[in-house]
Amino acid sequence: MKQQELEKSKEYKYGFTTDIESVRAPKGLNEDVIKFISNIKKEPEWMLKWRLKAFNRLKNLKEPNWQKPKYPKIDYQDLYYYSAPKSASDKPKNLNEVDPKLIETYKKLGIPLEEQKRLSGIAVDAVFDSVSVATTFKDELTKKGIIFCPISEAIRNHPELVKKYLGSVIPLTDHYFATLNSAVFTDGSFVYIPEGVRCPMELSTYFRINASETGQFERTLIIADKGSYVSYLEGCTAPMRDENQLHAANVELIALDDAEIKYSTVQNWYPGDKDGVGGIYNFVTKRGACRGKNSKISWTQVETGSAITWKYPSCILQGDNSVGEFYSIAITNNHQKADTGTKMIHLGKNTKSKIISKGISAGYADNTYRGLVDINKKASNARNYTQCDSLLMGNKCGAHTVPYIKNKNYSSIVEHEATTSKINEEQLYYCNQRGLNQEEAIGLIVNGFCKEVLQQLPMEFAVEAQKLVGISLEGSVG
Amino acid sequence: MENFEIDSKRIDQIEKITLEEKNFRIKNLELFKTAGFPNKKFEDWKFTDFRGIVDNNFKKLDTEKVTYDFKNKELLKNFDHNYIILVNGSLHSNNFDYEEKNKIKISSHDNNINYKLSENPLICLNHALAENGYFLEVEENYKFKKTLVIYNFFTNNIKDKILNNKNKIKIKKNSELHVIEYTINESKFKFINNVYEDLTLEKNSKLKSLYIQSKKSEGFFHKYSKSKLYDNSDYVNLIFSSGLRFNKLDIESDLIGENCSCNILSALFLNKNEHQEIKTRINHLVPDCKSYQRIKKVLDTESKGVFQGKVYVKDVAQKTDAYQLSKALLLHDDAEFNSKPELEIYADDVKCSHGSTSGTIDEDSLYYLMTRGLSRKESTKLLIKGFLNDVVNFIKNPKIKEFVENKLEEQINAH
Repeated sequence: MKQQELEKSKEYKYGFTTDIESVRAPKGLNEDVIKFISNIKKEPEWMLKWRLKAFNRLKNLKEPNWQKPKYPKIDYQDLYYYSAPKSASDKPKNLNEVDPKLIETYKKLGIPLEEQKRLSGIAVDAVFDSVSVATTFKDELTKKGIIFCPISEAIRNHPELVKKYLGSVIPLTDHYFATLNSAVFTDGSFVYIPEGVRCPMELSTYFRINASETGQFERTLIIADKGSYVSYLEGCTAPMRDENQLHAANVELIALDDAEIKYSTVQNWYPGDKDGVGGIYNFVTKRGACRGKNSKISWTQVETGSAITWKYPSCILQGDNSVGEFYSIAITNNHQKADTGTKMIHLGKNTKSKIISKGISAGYADNTYRGLVDINKKASNARNYTQCDSLLMGNKCGAHTVPYIKNKNYSSIVEHEATTSKINEEQLYYCNQRGLNQEEAIGLIVNGFCKEVLQQLPMEFAVEAQKLVGISLEGSVG
Repeated sequence: MENFEIDSKRIDQIEKITLEEKNFRIKNLELFKTAGFPNKKFEDWKFTDFRGIVDNNFKKLDTEKVTYDFKNKELLKNFDHNYIILVNGSLHSNNFDYEEKNKIKISSHDNNINYKLSENPLICLNHALAENGYFLEVEENYKFKKTLVIYNFFTNNIKDKILNNKNKIKIKKNSELHVIEYTINESKFKFINNVYEDLTLEKNSKLKSLYIQSKKSEGFFHKYSKSKLYDNSDYVNLIFSSGLRFNKLDIESDLIGENCSCNILSALFLNKNEHQEIKTRINHLVPDCKSYQRIKKVLDTESKGVFQGKVYVKDVAQKTDAYQLSKALLLHDDAEFNSKPELEIYADDVKCSHGSTSGTIDEDSLYYLMTRGLSRKESTKLLIKGFLNDVVNFIKNPKIKEFVENKLEEQINAH
């Protein structure tokens, strides 16, 4: 019986791997592979040059090693840097071929059957796809002049925008993973909101045609022109399984005068099994620049998946009166590790930032908040408020807070507070008394603990994210 | 390190050391030479480039012994006290007239090998070259009747030197000691004083130490203080070391016995060009211990304040109660305050929190005081005093409290 189960999980695990038939770049990281990617994406000459510049720089860079979660050495020559989307024949034929555990989670989250199929990578019926909401949305966006397309398309069709902004927030030379991404990124989203336009809907990778299989090196570029507004959703609450272990995405946001960008992430990639075997390394560089006056960038993230999450969505507050916000929930269970937080760099006058971080660790997990608040000399009247709270379940896990606070301007105010505690016994008892079982009670209390962040999520995510919080902690109490 | 060359010949000059100690010293010297003076690449020196500071302030540096002419200096008259006099770091004389002599042992510090190797190059340097200092032992069941003042004199001919000292205090079971470390610097020149302090508090013992200086000083001070706290012991460390050009206190406390408590409190006023840095690491290694940190700094023109605090709670250290607060008041555009309040927690049934704020004087409060007839300057002073006072209030002895208040006032008036 056990053997059978093992086979099954194996089947799932490898169910995604394509056969040799699909188009793949040869293994390894070298100039030829970069040329291959650039060629297959039909990129112009300047883009290839840009990539090669990044690659040359990469040779002189070393992987950072100051983070708390350590991981085995990655052999970059042993990775595939490009593989084309799978053909229908490679994918599971129906839901019966999908890991039953996955289906169970879908049901708990209340995901409709058709979506379940799509999420689990089943070749979706063409009819369903063509009538999908995505196409209708696309028309509406075009009417408003909004550009929302894969970044490879933008490189071909809107080179002036890409040239101007790509790499302007995360420079080519930034750090190892960001530079690696610049050299080999395969795809991702590009969004441009023209002056004065308020994007009528939340944009999501989920709606983008061909959004799946963007690969492990995703690149997102969002530009909000003067006076515009956009809310962007990344990922989804449903568990995402992926055969790539390393994910090193780059996300760049640019907000010009009076513009606002709201970027929400729900990350639920494969965290590895109970003993910490497998799981995704999520090493993402996310950075936004509030270039214009009165601009605003708001990051909201719910991180429940991945074996190691290592990211710091940041805001560079250049414009006067600009605002940066960071709301985060990081839940780690079993052997998961998270080292996440933000950087708020205040350069302009009257800039404001707010950081709310909630970390929850259970099992053998380690959860670290690491953040920087840097008030520059010229940032008069800057204001920062930081609150990071951690919840511990059990004495095998850890919660850490590592904030760096630099204040060089006397007219600015910086506040930071952090607490660490466990779930209140009385609250648990109260819930139990009212007929909730232990798991439901914990789900409820944790949701209350995270409320300030959950409230920031757009409607599309909010309900599911609440359920997700509960599900992620399943089995953590015993 | 062009300005500072040192080789193992210096160690040969140190008298009365065993081969084992010599080897330990040589090893540490090698470690220091490989690392050099710490710069921002060292996590513990994240906000301070000490290497740069040394380069900018010293054309040359050496560790050669200094001969000095020390006549009996005037001592504090504010309150009755016992005293130890250190001159340029080495034990000069002592007086325990108020105490039972057989309960106290004092000697020049000797043993220099039972120390862990450190990643901090300055500690390595100390391990390699420290030859002065004192070793004070308080026997069991003895409570000091009067405060002990440790006069830390620096003579006027100290120039371009690094003085390395090692001091040790051991308080045996059920004993209690109050110490005031009082720095008097007569040198107008720049020098570095690099101290390693080793404190042991046995069961039910108490140590209250207070750190203060007589007046402004051009010296560069670095002190690493390691304390070990056993069951029910109580350690209070009060820091009022304003007025030093550069001062870094690196405090590490191991809470080894249950129910012990560790308190680190500081109120500082920094004038022009002063740099004060407090780094703490409290290791909660057993259950039911308490730690409390309250650091307050007021920063004037071109001064820099740094606080790096860490609370570490081991997985077995349940019921830990740890609190950490750092607050800074910036009075001028060129002032800078950096902090890194850190928590590293592996036990779940704990109460740990920290807070860190920095900002300027509240305009509304100023306005309120001015409507009551105070000038802007007076109002500012009053608010600064109020800000620092909640730390000063931890001093129970009224005479000592007055002494500290006056010293702080001198600093504030220089503003």
